[in-house]
Amino acid sequence: MLQLNNVTITHKKSQQVLIQDLTLAIAKEEIVTLMGASGSGKSILLSWILGALSNDFEAQGNVYLNERVLNLIPINQRKIGIIFQEDTLFAHWSVGQNLAFALPANIKGRKVRRQAIEQVLEQVGLGECYERDPATLSGGQRSRVSVLRAILAQPQALLLDEPFAKLDQALRAQVRAWVFEQVRALEIPVLLVTHDVEDIPKERRVVRLKDDVR
Amino acid sequence: MSIVFLPVLIAGVGVLQPAFDLATWQALLVEPQLPLALRHTFFSAIGSTLLAVVLALSTVILLYPSHWWQWLVKRLAVLLAFPHLAFAVGFGFLIAPSGFIARMLAPLFSWSSPPSWQLPQDSYALSLMVGLALKESWFLLWVLTSLLQQHSTLRALHVAQSLGYGRLQIWLQVLLPQVLPRLAWPLMAVLAYSVSVVDMALVLAPTTPPPLAVLGWQWFNDLDPKRFALGSAVSVLLLLIILGLSTLGYGLFKLYPLFNRYLSGKRWRSGLLSSSTLQKAIAINVVLIGWLALILLSIWSFANQWFYPSLLPSTWTLKGWWQLEGTLLTNTLVLGLSSSLVAVIVVISWLEAFAKNRVELWYFPLVLPAVPLVVAQYEVVIRLHSESTYLALVWAHLLWVVPYVLLVLASTYQNFDQRLMLTAQALGHSDARILFQVKLPLLWRPISAAFAVGFAVSVAQYLPTVMIGAGQISTLTTEAVVLSTGGNRRTLAVYALGQALLPWLMFLLMMGLTYWQSYKRSGLR
Repeated sequence: MLQLNNVTITHKKSQQVLIQDLTLAIAKEEIVTLMGASGSGKSILLSWILGALSNDFEAQGNVYLNERVLNLIPINQRKIGIIFQEDTLFAHWSVGQNLAFALPANIKGRKVRRQAIEQVLEQVGLGECYERDPATLSGGQRSRVSVLRAILAQPQALLLDEPFAKLDQALRAQVRAWVFEQVRALEIPVLLVTHDVEDIPKERRVVRLKDDVR
Repeated sequence: MSIVFLPVLIAGVGVLQPAFDLATWQALLVEPQLPLALRHTFFSAIGSTLLAVVLALSTVILLYPSHWWQWLVKRLAVLLAFPHLAFAVGFGFLIAPSGFIARMLAPLFSWSSPPSWQLPQDSYALSLMVGLALKESWFLLWVLTSLLQQHSTLRALHVAQSLGYGRLQIWLQVLLPQVLPRLAWPLMAVLAYSVSVVDMALVLAPTTPPPLAVLGWQWFNDLDPKRFALGSAVSVLLLLIILGLSTLGYGLFKLYPLFNRYLSGKRWRSGLLSSSTLQKAIAINVVLIGWLALILLSIWSFANQWFYPSLLPSTWTLKGWWQLEGTLLTNTLVLGLSSSLVAVIVVISWLEAFAKNRVELWYFPLVLPAVPLVVAQYEVVIRLHSESTYLALVWAHLLWVVPYVLLVLASTYQNFDQRLMLTAQALGHSDARILFQVKLPLLWRPISAAFAVGFAVSVAQYLPTVMIGAGQISTLTTEAVVLSTGGNRRTLAVYALGQALLPWLMFLLMMGLTYWQSYKRSGLR
């Protein structure tokens, strides 16, 4: 379970309160959608949960993952995956290398690792893409590789920061359905930030951040 | 642009002509000063470039994007605008036997007289190497700051961290391969500067013999045509050294991906690297030597009597500042203001005329040795009978001022939102009106920054000023070099500090004007 307790985030310079006293619990297999106007602090909240809050802000409150307090744990030990609006595939590596970077070290051996990656690529219809330059992929393919990369690291929670916003309408529905299917299979808590009501998974919880908190 | 660059290139061919004679090279090879001069050049250039890269990259790896990184970035501008020569003088005051370090150590080792170490101007050009490395590391940090702002480095860092990787591993495997290609030109500029530096070398490097660039400069100034020919050969040699070392660096960069080919998924431990105490120590150390050099210049400029091993002068005086020659200050200001203004106008005109053209070609003076370029400028000026004139000096400065102004302005100017221009055109205004009333006011911030950078570059020019000015027009910079070879320390400090204060004041003025312009328009900030 991913749990936020009495979280308040303030912009240091202007003393503007972006998030005030937010308490939220996300169970395993649950996808909670976080909505709110631009500037209401959705992405700031995600960066705080991730452990990457900018120095311009200060936060109070606690974040727990499976009852472990994360506040003082560095980002690389939190076991929280992140997918941004921009896919952030590493441009100097092939698709396969991007995924190999995420794969845990306990999967040993050059061949075994490659097979593991080719297998997941195959499962999502990107079977021939191991050696491909990420720049040559379509928007939908890049999104899928980004999600795969986050999943392969075996996170215990996942944060999705408007992951479909850059996709066109037709592709969006398709990728959305695929991503939800993947993250549900992981059985971990997922927090999705979006502007678009279409992105909200059916029968799922929505938290709206007020933009009048000052 | 052509008036600035073309005559130099044409005259440059003439300057280098003697180097195409085999006899010149035979004479150079038997020249007894050559081996040691070469050693000094290799040692100081390779050492300082490598050290600058290591300093800059390790600072970024350890600090970015922490609070201490932001603290450092805010203080970089002051260090960047610190002229090389002024820093060299301050650095010399720090490391000399009667310098600040020796004074601090004196109580610990019971030294009643200065130690016998041979610093600066040590026989291995170590002082020059370290001085150059520190100064160039600030330049590389500034370049990295702008690169990190342009690209989605922060997101890539967070993604890789969320995959379980630590800072060092992410930089080595993910970020550096993406950042290094964009660092190639600045690195080459650092290398070229280190290979061909003269003013800093005159203060910090050994003199018998000096590094190759200084030796070439001395030979070019010799009336004997055989010595001039040796200067030509040295210029070609410097060029070959820059090319050879750049090719070697490029080759090493090409080998770098091999290190990354197999990704085992192992996450290295790097907990210590995120320690806030370590980050604080690194950030402070990066700026420490620069600040110490500045503080020492300030103290020396007011020192009346400062005996070893006292940490502070026993008596103070304003004599040094009263003795500052007004003509030198005026000359420095006139040349700086004129050349930066002309450079900004030339660069804006060029960017307007050739908006889509690549700008890299015009950076060539930054990656070539300065000595032959200055001698070529001198040849042009002699032919036009305009030596020792302000006009010739402004023209000579432009060869280095224009590339830096272009470097600051080009990307912002070329990325200017064209929709704003189209909107203004749709409202029926002429192109000239739109340029002066819409585009230039909106681009005031980068234009004022480019002007300040141009001014700083002009103030720091030593070789073109001393050559074209021919002793008739001197500046704070040329006078500081003269004083550094045995002049009064107080006077030297005054001139060096004056040389540093002018660019800082210009940056402050430009920042003030920008603040005033954007006071009621937060969108311009």
